[in-house]
Amino acid sequence: MSKSAGDYSDRWEAQIRKGCLELAVLASLWKNRLYGLEILRALEGNSGLGLAEGTLYLILSRLKAEKLVQSEWVDAGSGHPRKYYWLTEAGKQRLHYMAQFWIQFSATLDALLEPVLGRKEHAYVRR
Amino acid sequence: MSADNVTARTDEYLASLRKALGDVPIAERDEMVEEIRSHIFERIEAEGQATERVINQVLRAVGDPNELASQYKVEALLRGAAKSRSPWVLLRSTLRWAMTGIVGFIAFAITLTGYGCAAVCYLCALLKPILPARIGLWLSPEHTLTLGYWNGRLSGTEVYGISVRPPFSFVLGTLSATNGPVREIYGPWFFPASFLCGLLFIMVTTYFTKWFIRKFGWRKSSHSLLLRESLSASSGSER
Repeated sequence: MSKSAGDYSDRWEAQIRKGCLELAVLASLWKNRLYGLEILRALEGNSGLGLAEGTLYLILSRLKAEKLVQSEWVDAGSGHPRKYYWLTEAGKQRLHYMAQFWIQFSATLDALLEPVLGRKEHAYVRR
Repeated sequence: MSADNVTARTDEYLASLRKALGDVPIAERDEMVEEIRSHIFERIEAEGQATERVINQVLRAVGDPNELASQYKVEALLRGAAKSRSPWVLLRSTLRWAMTGIVGFIAFAITLTGYGCAAVCYLCALLKPILPARIGLWLSPEHTLTLGYWNGRLSGTEVYGISVRPPFSFVLGTLSATNGPVREIYGPWFFPASFLCGLLFIMVTTYFTKWFIRKFGWRKSSHSLLLRESLSASSGSER
């Protein structure tokens, strides 16, 4: 791949991932209350977002300012407290809306992309 | 590495972060620093051993404290500004935002122009009793309307203030020489009219700036740098 094409794909991927960060962070909190490192582990394991660690706390503080998540310091008995986050009712509604949009959007895009990569390769990429 | 050394390295990192967070409100700053402290200790614990290599790796993964603080400050400032009605807060926030990219620069330019126009209106209202013959709403022969100061010359006329020539031209500053005398058209209504104009400029600029921040503010501007770094790191490790 040429340098400019490589630069473009890096930028494009970064934009796509950046746009999904909030959705992924909210989704990681759907079932459980989690603290920062647990959220990171959930994102690393499931989303492939490659989030820089300090950035997570910027996103969480923004989500909290928008009243989409709530937080509480808990003394976990490990010598230092942990700050646990959970979704508020507004956060659940927002996540539900985002998830619905994402499913519809990706289904439309999938249908468009199938002929581009061919059925086999497309199935492989999706896996 | 001993527990004391780990604590010392972490404290050093957090002191840099605290310093870089600068003018963020103390409670908010302490919260952020404590959260990062907790994260660092969790990560070191998860690694199982506190060697120098591990602590360096953890601190690198958390990110450069100056970049982290810089992003946090812009976000915190814009979040505060979106709730504020103070022209000073909005100007200061958009100025900081302007240093991060073109969208911020546009926001600052619009805010500065709007409040600049309001300042001209109030200045004119204040100066009218002192310089009644020189301050006014002036109409030139070319149909340019200027609110501000007239230099008093009938030839080589210059006016300083806000100039509008319908439908397209707008100048905040000096309007160069016009062909012929200007005449004042507001008369006794000048004071209330310029006062109201100033108020209108402040209200519209405040409303617009807050809307602009909410629409294009922190959501669009942040995380690009740290995310890019993490991407290049992950693509490096894949190779």
